Amino acid sequence: MTKPFVRLDRRQMMIGTAAAALLASAPLAAAQDAAPNHGGVLNYATLGLDTSDPHRHTGSIAVQQLYVEALTSIGPDGRVEPFLAERWDVSEDGKTYTFTLRDGVTFHNGDPLDADAVVANIERVRNNVTGGWLASAMKLVESVEATDPRTVVLTMSEPYAPLVNLMSELWIVSPASKGWDATIETPIGTGPFMFGEWKPQVSLTAPAFAHYWRGEDLPYLSAVEVNLREDIDKANALRAGDLDIVNVGRDVARRLAQDPAIRTSTLKDSTWYFVSFNNRSPRPPFDDPKVREAVMHAIDKQAFMNFLAPETGVLSNQMVMPGHVYFDEAIAAADAYPQADLEKTKALLEEAGVDPSEITIDLVSWQENYPQVVVQMLRQAGFNVKHSALDDLGAQNRLGQYDWDVAVMASGPRADIFLRYVRLMSDGPNPVLWGGIQDAELDRLIKAAVAETDEAARKTLYSEAFQRVLDNDYFMVLGHAPNAIAMREAVKGYEPGFTWSPNWVSGGIAQTFLIED
Amino acid sequence: MAQLSRILLALLRMAAQAAGIVVIVFLLCRIAPGDAVDRLALEGGLTSAEETALRHEMGLDQPILVDLLTWSAHALAGDFGQSLRYGRPVADMLATALPTTLTLAAGSFVVGLLLAMGLAVSAAVTGNRVLALTVNLVNVWSIALPTFCVGVVAILVFSVWLGWLPVIGALAMPIVIIGIDNAGQIGKPLLEELREATTSAHVRTARAKGLGRPRIAVFHLLPTALPVALALSGLVLAGLVAGTLTMEILFGLPGLGSLMLNAIHGRDYPVVQAAITVVAVALVVINAVIDIIHHAVDPRLAR
Repeated sequence: MTKPFVRLDRRQMMIGTAAAALLASAPLAAAQDAAPNHGGVLNYATLGLDTSDPHRHTGSIAVQQLYVEALTSIGPDGRVEPFLAERWDVSEDGKTYTFTLRDGVTFHNGDPLDADAVVANIERVRNNVTGGWLASAMKLVESVEATDPRTVVLTMSEPYAPLVNLMSELWIVSPASKGWDATIETPIGTGPFMFGEWKPQVSLTAPAFAHYWRGEDLPYLSAVEVNLREDIDKANALRAGDLDIVNVGRDVARRLAQDPAIRTSTLKDSTWYFVSFNNRSPRPPFDDPKVREAVMHAIDKQAFMNFLAPETGVLSNQMVMPGHVYFDEAIAAADAYPQADLEKTKALLEEAGVDPSEITIDLVSWQENYPQVVVQMLRQAGFNVKHSALDDLGAQNRLGQYDWDVAVMASGPRADIFLRYVRLMSDGPNPVLWGGIQDAELDRLIKAAVAETDEAARKTLYSEAFQRVLDNDYFMVLGHAPNAIAMREAVKGYEPGFTWSPNWVSGGIAQTFLIED
Repeated sequence: MAQLSRILLALLRMAAQAAGIVVIVFLLCRIAPGDAVDRLALEGGLTSAEETALRHEMGLDQPILVDLLTWSAHALAGDFGQSLRYGRPVADMLATALPTTLTLAAGSFVVGLLLAMGLAVSAAVTGNRVLALTVNLVNVWSIALPTFCVGVVAILVFSVWLGWLPVIGALAMPIVIIGIDNAGQIGKPLLEELREATTSAHVRTARAKGLGRPRIAVFHLLPTALPVALALSGLVLAGLVAGTLTMEILFGLPGLGSLMLNAIHGRDYPVVQAAITVVAVALVVINAVIDIIHHAVDPRLAR
């Protein structure tokens, strides 16, 4: 007996996602029923920790947020919340940001958090850190000064709207931390837990900080033991009770959900999946818009998303999913590729004078199963496909050579919409996944959006920029699906946030506790 | 004199083998697409100019030959350089990982050898059919069931279902699993050898003298079987490299295997090179030592 294949239309999938989001928020209420328990060590395993220097992170930025915090944090709905700064004011021209620091915050060494420390951190990132999202933003910082012990005034050389969101990833570390002048070895932060013993690739012990600013009671746990081993069987370790909170693949999450002792949930921001063309140096016939459109008509987004994430997936032709503040309804309604249309593919190829059986698409992807779905769809349309499935670094390197035609890729949660658009800019960081777009007009639109202080006007500009992406057939979005998080039922008061961060002002690990099971 | 020159020759051959392995690993690392800078760029933080500058800073833009020579010179002086990914001395990382791997390898070797010798000797001496059957069973087990398969089932049974051992970091389980695997490889040929020995003249004489079974086993049978046990041990030790690697990953043990795998994923060349060099040298040394001991205990080989 095989299970009948259920085809969901977009609306059904959206309803499914809305229901999933509702369900996801329900356990929080349930958790409130149990009285918080003090003590206990929580075993946590999601991403790794590559460096003890919070300013030099290489992307694995979940773990360090146990012990370091920033001026702002991203709430579960993706909106920016005050964190170490209790508020901020933006000048009319959008260039001057005045952050007022929260009173009564102390570093793990007992020193109070003051404006001088914040200025020192901003200057350290601006002057010493190469690469990273913040580096380019910090280059636009004209001046930063502490006007009084609780006020930091940051002046940008040009209006820069993403700044407040991006500040959620500029971690404030005490300048007294060992290694401050080179590489910080023992970060002294303000977080609910402290940087204890770190064994690279093995573990990090993070004991609770007794004088955490969010109240006498917090954090509830006595320590977090972070498991940093890669390639371990997190699902079985969770079932055996060796780990308490883990990230798992969606198929594993589906299986774990059957276990009554385990609760599954998702990050609130999505990972999005897309098919991009080589835009830097496209080879014929993929420089012909008709051929690009023919390829896109051959791809069945619904089937792809049904394969990828039948429960939590959602179709979208944009870099954000329905419900996101930057989702554009008009662009969604005008989707040129709502379903596969092989007739159109055929007609367009004929118009372009291309016989697909004579074309071999050089397709690059990671070693995942989902690119196979696209490969098969392209083969069904008559193309030959040479599929190179490479590990992350192999793909990174190969994509950078721009000697391929099509890439099937994905991109994860981000603290700000700009971090998705910046990759499409001509001089943007790591543009290879999107085929290295070189488009001055697109750059101009994104820059205009970045400089726009009014949110509605900014959304319009971002939408215009995305419309340009669609008009030029740079890439095709297939859909969105959130990353799965699984935890033992004994873990209470925890619900995954918007990004990988386990700690934000309105929730997270500080208010998590363990009950006997 | 002949003995000495033979040992010297063995040592020379050993050095040449180790050097060959190092060079091959070095080349393979460079052929693999992607490098440590690509890892830093993965999350989207670097412009191409910054990538080029970083490659220069890390010395990744050097010609392979220059790189190989520099590295070899440093390695001979005991300096394996710094990890590109973690910025820590590679020697420190090896020092942290080695004890786990050594415990696992030594533990499972000892378990395997004791189990095989115990079973085979008692089966040969007593002629007990159940014991002989057990030797055969363990042998078939080791041939038919790869250790990683047994490992997965063992995790499910002993960790998830019974909850006796942790899923991550348990040393006892992989030691026993690899130990049984080793016992299977050694036990059966050893038993054959012992059976042959039981019919040999000196054992029959011992029996005729009225010596007890334990005494015959220890003083008459075992010495005859020692060369075979040694030769098999050499093979088993070589196989341990692969065996411990998969077990380390399966059981989340932070040993040399895990270190190596992560370093390969991260294109952390200095760590990959150093780890493989250590393993290669260890293997070559083990083989040479076994070879020498083999010659010492088996006078027939010296002729």
